Amino acid sequence: MRSQLVKSKARRPKRRRQGLKSWPITFSPFARALALARMPKRHSQNPTSSVNIPRHSHSSDDESFDGVIQADFSFFDPKPQDFHGAKTLLQTYLDDHEWDLSSFVDLILDQTTVGTVVKIEGDEDEGIFALVTALNFHRYREHRCFFTLKEFLLRKARQDKAVADRLRLLLEEQSRVVGLLVSQRMLNLPPQLLPHLYAALFDEVSWATEDEPTEELRNSFKFKHYIILSKIYVQKSAQQKRKPSNDNDEAIIYVKAEDEIFHKLRNYRPTGLVMAVEVDKIATFRQELASLISET
Amino acid sequence: MATRLQFENNCEVGVFSKLTNAYCLVAIGGSENFYSVFESELADVIPVVKTSIGGTRIIGRLCAGNKNGLLLPHTTTDQELQHLRNSLPDQVVVQRVDERLSALGNCIACNDHVALTHTDLDRETEEMIADVLGVEVFRQTIAGNILVGSYCAFSNRGGLVHPHTSIEDLDELSTLLQVPLVAGTVNRGSEVIAAGMTVNDWTAFCGSDTTATELSVIESVFKLREAQPSAIVDEMRKSLIDTYV
Repeated sequence: MRSQLVKSKARRPKRRRQGLKSWPITFSPFARALALARMPKRHSQNPTSSVNIPRHSHSSDDESFDGVIQADFSFFDPKPQDFHGAKTLLQTYLDDHEWDLSSFVDLILDQTTVGTVVKIEGDEDEGIFALVTALNFHRYREHRCFFTLKEFLLRKARQDKAVADRLRLLLEEQSRVVGLLVSQRMLNLPPQLLPHLYAALFDEVSWATEDEPTEELRNSFKFKHYIILSKIYVQKSAQQKRKPSNDNDEAIIYVKAEDEIFHKLRNYRPTGLVMAVEVDKIATFRQELASLISET
Repeated sequence: MATRLQFENNCEVGVFSKLTNAYCLVAIGGSENFYSVFESELADVIPVVKTSIGGTRIIGRLCAGNKNGLLLPHTTTDQELQHLRNSLPDQVVVQRVDERLSALGNCIACNDHVALTHTDLDRETEEMIADVLGVEVFRQTIAGNILVGSYCAFSNRGGLVHPHTSIEDLDELSTLLQVPLVAGTVNRGSEVIAAGMTVNDWTAFCGSDTTATELSVIESVFKLREAQPSAIVDEMRKSLIDTYV
């Protein structure tokens, strides 16, 4: 049934090849030029991307290039070398609250069975473009970073007493079946990757419920709820918007598009930032995400 | 003793502070945690001064100094200059330098006797360094990097340099600086040594991502384990027998 899945200690990149009508995601004109110079070697059928790219390109105008650029995004299990990249992605996870981010990142990277990291294949930089994982609240309850996280969530929910109570219930009494869904990525990441990314995560969770060595670990992945911390922009008043948008009627703008789908499927009314989603709704989520991406 | 700390979730403590044998400069942060760690370590011995340079918080990378003086970039405002002159001890000469390469902390690495500088530094600046800081100046590169102030950190007792420094370079630098040098990393593999840590003769502050191995290397090369904050240690060095290891 699952013969193609080999979760061996040797790391297996799960390949998702995507054609992009956009730039390789790099941080500087120089890196972009390098990335473009590398790519024609891998994809000889690449139609227009020019081969003679100066190594030290100082010009910052990208308009001279047009056509389809191929980039190979690969999905990997998290490993310790990803520490700095993952830490950068999670830097603003709890806004500007001072907390033990390094040990939180260590927890994510230690959990190799559930969790995916998106990188460019063969990139020496080992830069991470996206990270998804699900952490069981009960399993990590002893860690200081989880204390801080729970405190932060409860503080954010405090405005609405009913919600705060239900959140506390989830985080404490029911913590065995509640998972923290961490999903951070570079905002320009091609949206075509998202359905695959979330598919990878939810598949890994279901595989982990059967493949984990100990009973306890298996049970720790039988989630009933996911907690998601997401950033949104809320329209302050009729006139003012924090971020301009084409759709004038939008009251809430989500930094990550899939959060909107989560919001629709929610079971608990979010107070801006924290959502708890029932696991049964995940299938619906995956369908809607696929349709959202194919529309955009 | 080496201490691990963070500046507002950022492990690059050498960017937001400047530590010498006579004073310590600290950036103004949102919370007081950063400042209070320095205070608790250094309060009785040297003044800990909160400041900004040119309105920014990256003071460790903009200024260069030792116990004799402090050099500031031309972007420093008059108020900041006055504040520093008032807060620092009188024997410390505070001087603003008109230099095109204004990130002096990235271009100059120094202790109380020797300074390594960026190869393209102005001649006038070099003279000012020799004058104000009372040091001998050498134009050098470290592992091929011209930003010597970023890729090495040294005190009067030892130094830590970029991990890819070759053995020959290490020997050459060690002869120039007259201190033992070690190639290593800080903050869990970061090569930018001086951004990740700051050090003087008896104490060091490193980013909280620094592993235990890195910390022990730092403590051994800078000889922090039996260090005393005494100004006379250097003078008495010749007549004292060093501790038996």
